[in-house]
Parts: sequence; structure tokens; C-alpha cells
Amino acid sequence: MRRTTAITVACMTAAALTVTACGRGPEGGGGTAGQTGAAVDTGKATGEITVWAMGAEGDNLPKLTADFESANPGVKVKVTAIPWDAAHDKFTTAITAGKTPDVAMVGTTWMGEFASSDAIDPTPAQIDKSAFFEGAQKTTEVNGTSYGIPWYVETRVLFYRTDLAKKAGFDTAPTDWQGLKDMAKAMQTKAGAKWGIGLQAGGEGSWQTLMPFAWSDGADLTKDGGKAYNFDSPQILKAAKYYQSFFTDGISNKAAPATPTTEPDFAKGTVPMFISGPWMMSAVEKVGGPGFKDKYDVAPIPAGTTGSSSFVGGSNFVVFKNTKNRDTAWKFVQWLADPKVQAKWYTISTDLPSVKSAWQDPALASDKKLAVFGKQLETAKAPPSFPTWEQAVKALDTEMEKVTKTGADPAAALKAAQQQADSIGTGQ
Amino acid sequence: MTAQPGTSGSTGPVTPPAATPPGRPDDRSPRGADTGGSRRPAGSSALREGRAAWILAIPFCLLFLAFTAWPVVQSLFMSITDTRSRDLRKPFSVNIIGLDNFTKALSDPLFRKAAANTAYFVLVGMPLTLVMALAAAVALDKGITRFRAAFRLGFYLPVITSIVAVAVVWRFLLQDPGGLINTALGWVGITGPNWLGDPKWSMPSMILMAAWRNFGTAMIIFLAGLQAVPAELHEAAAIDGAGAWKRFRYVTMPLLRPTLLFVMVTTAIGYLQFFEEPFVMTKGGPLNSTISLSYYTYQQFGFGNYALASAMSYLIFVVIAVVTAIQFRLLRERT
Amino acid sequence: MAVDTASRPSGSAPARARTRKPRSGMVGSSQAGRWWLYAILVVAFIAVVAPFVWMVLGSFKSEGELRQVPPTWLPESASLDNYTQLFDKLSFGQFFTNSIIVAVVVTAGNLVFCSMLGYALAMLDFKGKKLIFTAVMTTLMIPGVVTFVPLFVLVANAGLIDTLPGLFLPFLVSPFGVFLMRQFILGLPKDLLDAGRVDGAGELRIFWRIILPLCGPALATLGILTFLGSWNNFLWPLVVAQSEDRYTLPVALALYSTGQNSTNYGLLLAGATVVIVPILVVFLVFQKRFIEGIATTGLK
Repeated sequence: MRRTTAITVACMTAAALTVTACGRGPEGGGGTAGQTGAAVDTGKATGEITVWAMGAEGDNLPKLTADFESANPGVKVKVTAIPWDAAHDKFTTAITAGKTPDVAMVGTTWMGEFASSDAIDPTPAQIDKSAFFEGAQKTTEVNGTSYGIPWYVETRVLFYRTDLAKKAGFDTAPTDWQGLKDMAKAMQTKAGAKWGIGLQAGGEGSWQTLMPFAWSDGADLTKDGGKAYNFDSPQILKAAKYYQSFFTDGISNKAAPATPTTEPDFAKGTVPMFISGPWMMSAVEKVGGPGFKDKYDVAPIPAGTTGSSSFVGGSNFVVFKNTKNRDTAWKFVQWLADPKVQAKWYTISTDLPSVKSAWQDPALASDKKLAVFGKQLETAKAPPSFPTWEQAVKALDTEMEKVTKTGADPAAALKAAQQQADSIGTGQ
Repeated sequence: MTAQPGTSGSTGPVTPPAATPPGRPDDRSPRGADTGGSRRPAGSSALREGRAAWILAIPFCLLFLAFTAWPVVQSLFMSITDTRSRDLRKPFSVNIIGLDNFTKALSDPLFRKAAANTAYFVLVGMPLTLVMALAAAVALDKGITRFRAAFRLGFYLPVITSIVAVAVVWRFLLQDPGGLINTALGWVGITGPNWLGDPKWSMPSMILMAAWRNFGTAMIIFLAGLQAVPAELHEAAAIDGAGAWKRFRYVTMPLLRPTLLFVMVTTAIGYLQFFEEPFVMTKGGPLNSTISLSYYTYQQFGFGNYALASAMSYLIFVVIAVVTAIQFRLLRERT
Repeated sequence: MAVDTASRPSGSAPARARTRKPRSGMVGSSQAGRWWLYAILVVAFIAVVAPFVWMVLGSFKSEGELRQVPPTWLPESASLDNYTQLFDKLSFGQFFTNSIIVAVVVTAGNLVFCSMLGYALAMLDFKGKKLIFTAVMTTLMIPGVVTFVPLFVLVANAGLIDTLPGLFLPFLVSPFGVFLMRQFILGLPKDLLDAGRVDGAGELRIFWRIILPLCGPALATLGILTFLGSWNNFLWPLVVAQSEDRYTLPVALALYSTGQNSTNYGLLLAGATVVIVPILVVFLVFQKRFIEGIATTGLK
């Protein structure tokens, strides 16, 4: 069998080779910098559009689109909900086969890839880009061209137990790096916490906890005018050293598994501080039970030399190029960015609005914890929208894991991450 | 979280091994068929036989050519080009770069680390799974007379449980402190390790989980194979004074050899493509201690490096082919 | 089955093996030995089944309780909330029907087509046989992930996106099934074939009337494994379905249990429990064939 296998493989290869490979034509896709989509007709929307949206958003979206349909008689918005699991696979295969919907919700880190596949339509000038949080708007921009809108946002802030903080001698949240470390240490020594603060010890996505510190110190993830990655800058090194000190000083657990038990640890007080996003509020309140709401608070990321910054995530809405109903598709997207619609979406989904003025809505303005997120969003930053971002940042995550877990030298680790990022390239 | 990267076979690429008792699995030569053919005079009957064979083969071949062979050819082609995800819409306007992807994969330290992890997993996990399965099968076949069906179903339950649920449950089992396994170890005075958090213990956790999930399938196949061992051979051996172990070694094992080969080959194919456990439990961590060849390849597909990932897949294929060939050689039935 | 009687095997070892029921238990093993074995088996049984039991119990717990450290065994206050939530959200009937249609068609296709070719490869002589078997074995060893995208493009170009045939056509045959059936049929005595021919039966009739009835255990194994694989398949139905009407059960379940940044464990465990029931039924129906099949089928 071995011999014949080899022959078969050889035959298949030969057959494949005879299929004429024409080589690359001139680089298409991505387009030139600073494009604007053609203007959209200003009349009423008409016809049917298909929309893909993930998870709970996809499940809830029809409640919102009903309003669009009644405002534009004759329009039909057909929503298909897609599980978050493997949603990225679904999009890439759909783009490959040209089977994309008219409009879709997409992850912020997919923009570079989809734009370079020439799959999504540049945003027309009618949509006011300055209405959104700046960091969120940046996630739609690839190579200077904006594709779609930020739909909802999330950002990372500091969660801490107010009752235990009092025990540890702190009435307010820390505002600088030293303050955060002192407080975490005091949580251990005075408030009975096992670990002062839960920081992700490397591994997938840990850059989202590291970068808020680096950005607070003025870090930029790109250099050479946005043409290359920049992982080994002095600002990131300073943040990495600071981050590492939590682990070397025994304030944070370096051996936490990939899926940590953040919520129960927080509720029990064994780990009374952590950095995470808005979804964690309902999660810890569920585990903590009634009354837990008053036992914790959120605060902005402690400021570095350039103020407090954080990571902005969420989801965007895009129009695919091969839509048959471009006008209606963009009108729908524009409608989603309306402050009133954004505020209503918050009441349906608790997703935070990407449009700044929507935060004046009483439903949002009255919540003190939410206000912290709103404030943080004004300075929160997004990673560069290079198609290779996920791969490059994986190198950073892997190197940071060595820094936190094995005590590796942060400078050497960042240098190694930078080397890998350079060999991967931006992909643009 | 559940994504299974490929599904070209309905049982899925990473589906654990499974099969029934094979007849003569070493029968790679056309010996079996030749016997049938040579006994009869050549001519019209041979012609008839050939025609009948093709009638039987045609439906499979058509479906196979369309849905399996063509994608294989295309992916092989991809592995010698510089295809990235953005090129997929025009699959032939790419550059042919020969074997560069293969050399790139082989010189990637993380790919080699993944290869070492996979070897660790297969070398420890496969014997463990097979021994558990064989022990359970022998016990259920000859050892007991009651509650067979209940034990059989119980041991098979992990096989049919979906991996996402398995992941949630095992995370609770392996938690440290407080997980059920460490609690149980605590009863006998052992301080359990930090299973998923310690790079030394993460791979043993994966192996334990995989053995738990997969031994039921192998057990079922062994059970079917054991049915072919006639009881009177055991009786005769017992009269000759052979003990239980000797009877197992000299009566059962030789007759079970074809089944064993089949189970070993299919388990090896499944385990060499070890993917789901790290995918749902550890994401390859901590410190890349559980990253496997298939998982690393899957990541490369996710990053859009289709050509490189295809090359990696075919490197995995080569390893599987070699391992399969070795097993056929080692376990060849004596004729 | 006249042919069957005529084909009384002249006695190759595997054929004879199938004629007895080895039910007498381990000869000479004492009652005490058995007691000891039962004890080990029970411990093993508990260890193997415990995670499964925890899963089912977990589906009755609240989200808060599921995240407690240390985890609880019995629900503090058992409720059906997860299930009612699940059934409220899912148009369950539709997803269930899709899953069943796809799984049944795929299973039937594999049983028929793979046994046909398996028989031809094992028993008949024909030109191209070696090539077919080599191709089958080769593709069995190729990681499925590599052919996923080319396969999807193929199905899309054939206009099968968002159709039921698009969900099952690519999986009607599998190299695995052919390998399995070939190996099994190789173990059947060749005399069967000759006897059939002497009786004047055509080749196809021999396959249908003599060989296939003997393949009970192999077919049962292939059946349950194919059904299981198809039933749990996630990625393919997800990418092929363009509208929720075409979703299968696992795709629909994933929709509600996994979020962008969080997982709803309660819904996930309830879904996993629900999805297992049909497989259990299939297993229980087939399991007699798994084991007893060999001893009872055909040759007595």
C-alpha cells in the first residue's frame, strides 16, 4: 500500500500542477487609502435585505428591526442569528464562495482581513464618523478607509470589592500604578484575599489586560507611519515590567488555568480585584447573589504618564460589496447609528452604545457604574486593523506568558515578539 | 468553542477511532480477492464479476470523486502556493512556491514543539486507552454474567457526550482547589496538582480526558472481536492447566490480533490528529504545553495562512501514513 | 435463504467462531474472583459515569450555582429554568427535524454505499480495485480540516448552499466506512461466495442475500458511529445554512449558550443533555447487534 500511496499522491500532485496556475495579477483588494463609498440615495428604503448577527445580538435584533420596517413600509429585514462559535469561519467561507449577506455584524478584529479580501463596502459620506467614540471608529478604519460603523462597544475597567477595600484601608479606587499595586498588596495583607488582583497570566487575549497600562503610558502599537508592528517600544516595556511585578511579588496568581474562576473568586473575596469588561457586572452579581451590587465598584484603569486609557472592543456593522440592495443596506446601517436607536438597543440587549450622544439617555446616564465605562471609552484605544493582527498578537501573548509564569526578561520577550511580528508582516 | 475544523468525513476528522472486528486487516495485497478470482475459470465469469464489482463501486466512486478527491487535489495544490485567505476567491491567481511551505513549517520551533506534544500524547494516551478498553472488554465478555448491558452503556456514555459539555464538566473536575478530582484525592491524603494551570500536569490532564472519552469506542470493538474467540478453546486450555493469564495470552490474544490491529490503526489516526481537548480546555497553554499539531494547524487556517496550513496538514498526513504502515508491519498476522 | 444452507461453511476458524455463543463465563474462575471483579467494575463505572451524571445534574442548577467554587454535586434548588428557557427560544421541532433528516440520510447512504464497495474490495476481483482502495486509505489519513474550504466552494458552486442536500450530500460516503466494511467482509468465509455461485445466484444477489445479512455487527457499528458523527456535526451545517430554517440542533444550541465574552453554562448543559437523547435511543436500538449480532446472525 505504501508504494501505491506514494504513486497516487504523485499523480494527484501532477494533476494539480497541470491546472494552470496563472500567478498573481496586480494586487487587487484593499483599495487605495482614504476611500469613501458612493453616496446613498436619500429616499425611503425599499426591498428586502439579509442581515447576519451573532449570538444574543442576532437573537434580539428582530425586536429592533421591526421599528425600521414600520418606518419604511415595504422593507423586509431578514435576520439570521449565528453562533459566536466559529462565526469567523462562517464569514471567511461565505466570502470565499461569494455567499455573503447584505449587511452583517462583525468582530472588530476581523475588519482588516475582510477589507483586504475586497469583501466590504467603504462607508459613504452621509454617515457622521465623529458621532462615535474615537477608539471605536478607528476599528472600522483599514488603511485609511472606513468600512461600516461601530455598533456597540465595550471597554476594560478595574473591578474591586468596596467592602474589602475599606478593610484594607482604601476608601477610593487607585488612580495611578503605584496606588493599584499598594491596594492589591493591602487586600492580601489586611483583607484576607488570597491574591490581590486577578491579572491574566499570558495566554490568548492577555494583551487586552497588558495594553491598557501601556496605552496609559502613551504606547503606540504601530511604527513607521502605520507600516509595521511596534511591540518592543519603551512604553510597552515599562508596562510589561510593571505587569510582571504583580506575579513576581506574589500579588497575582501565575498558575491560573486558561478559564479562570473570576466570578466566584471575586464574590468570595479570594481575588477582590480584576480588570474586565461590562458583561462582568451581571456575571458577578449572578454569582454574588442579592445585595452584591453594593459590595463592589468599577473604576478607570489607573493612569500612567499620559492619563488613563483602555482597550475598546465590541462589534461593527458592515455592508458587503456584493449586496443587491446597497441603498437600503446602508440606510439600515445608518439607522442603527441613530442615537435613539442606539439607546433603545441598550435597553434590549445591555450592549453599550458606540454613539457618544446616546449616553445622555436616562437609561444609561442614571447608572453610576456605567458612567465609568462611558468615561473610559473616551480614551480607550483599538489595536491596528492589520489583517495579520490576530497572528501577530498571538506572538505577544505567548511571550508575555513566559514573562508572567517563568519570570523571563520582559525586554527579551518583547524583542522576540517584535521579531515574530516583523516576519509575519502587517499583511497590508 | 466547539468548532471542529474540518468535516470531510461524516464522522469528522478528529472523531475518535472506531470500527468493528476486522477480518484480516493486514490484507493489503489483493490476496483476498485473488483467491476468489483464481478459483474459477477466467473468461465470462471473470467479466461478470468485474462488471458486478463496478456496479457496486460506482455510486461510491462518483460521490467520492466529487466530494472527497477533488477537494484533496485542490488542497494539495494550495500547499505548494502562497495562498492566503484573501486569495481564496481566485484560487489560481497565486504563485507556486514549491516546497517552501513545508520547509517553513518544519523549521518553525512552535510546530516542532507541537509535534513533540503530539508524540507525548500518542505514546502515553494510546496505550492507556487501549489497555483500559481491552480490560473493560475482557471483564464484560468473560468475567461477569450480570449487568453487562448497564456497564456497556455506562462505559460508552462519554463517547456520545458532546465535547462542549465535556469541556465544562472537566473544567470543574480538574479545578484546583475544589475540583472533584482533587477533592477525591484529598480523601486518601494526596494533594492533587493544579491540573490545568501547571505546564507539567496539563498534558496528563488532556491524556486522562481523551482516554475517558475514547476508551468506550475501542471497548465496543474489542467486545465484538472477543465474540470470535470460541469458548471451547478456553475450556481445552483450562483442562490443560493453563491459568487465566496464560489463557488470555495464548488463546485470546492471537485470535484478537486482527481486531487489535484495526483498533490501533484507527486510534492512532484519531490521536495523531488530537485537537478537541486543547481546543476547548487550554487553548494550547499553559506555556504551549498542550499545543498539538492539529491545533496549531487549525490556528494557521484561522490566521488565513491557507497554504502554510495545508502544507502542515500534509505533514501530519505523512506521519500518520508512516505510523499506520509500521503498525501493519508489526501486527501482521502470521500466515 | 436456500443459499445460506448450501453455503454451510466447511469450517474456517472465524466462521466456526461465530457459530458458538461464548456465554459460559471464565472457566474455573471462582465466585470470589467474580465478586472482586464486580467491585472493580463498579468503581470504574462510577468514575466513568460521574462526569456524565454531573452534567445532567448541572443542567438543573442556576448559573450562579454552576460557577461556585468548590462546585456542588446536587442542585441546591433544582429547577427546570434552563430547559424552559431553551425550549422557549428554540423552534425546536424545525431544528430537530433537520438534524434527523440529515443524520438518517447520511447513515443510510453510508450503510448502503460503503458496504457495496467494501464487499467489492473484499471479495471481488476487478480492474482498478487497488487504485480505489489506495485512494480510500489515503483520504482516510488526510486531516479533514485541509479540505474544508475547497469542499465548501464546491458545494457553493453547485448551488447547494442553504439546502438540505447541501447538508448531507458530501457525507453520503466515507473512506472510514469502506475500510470498516472491507475489513469485516474479508473475515467472512470465501466459501459463501462459491456456494452462492454454484447455486447460480448473480453477484449482486449474493451480496444482497448472503453477505449483507451477515454484516449485522459491522453495519450496527457503522450505523451508530455515522449517526453520532452526523448528529454532532457543527461546523458544516453552520456554514452551509444561510437561514435559521436550515440549522441543525447543535448549531441552534450553540447560538444560545455561547456569547462573545461569556458562556451560559446552564443552557449549555441542558442543551447537551437534550441532544444526547436521540443518540441514546439509537445506541440502545443498535447495541444488541453490536455484540450479540455476531453470535446470532446468519450461520447457526
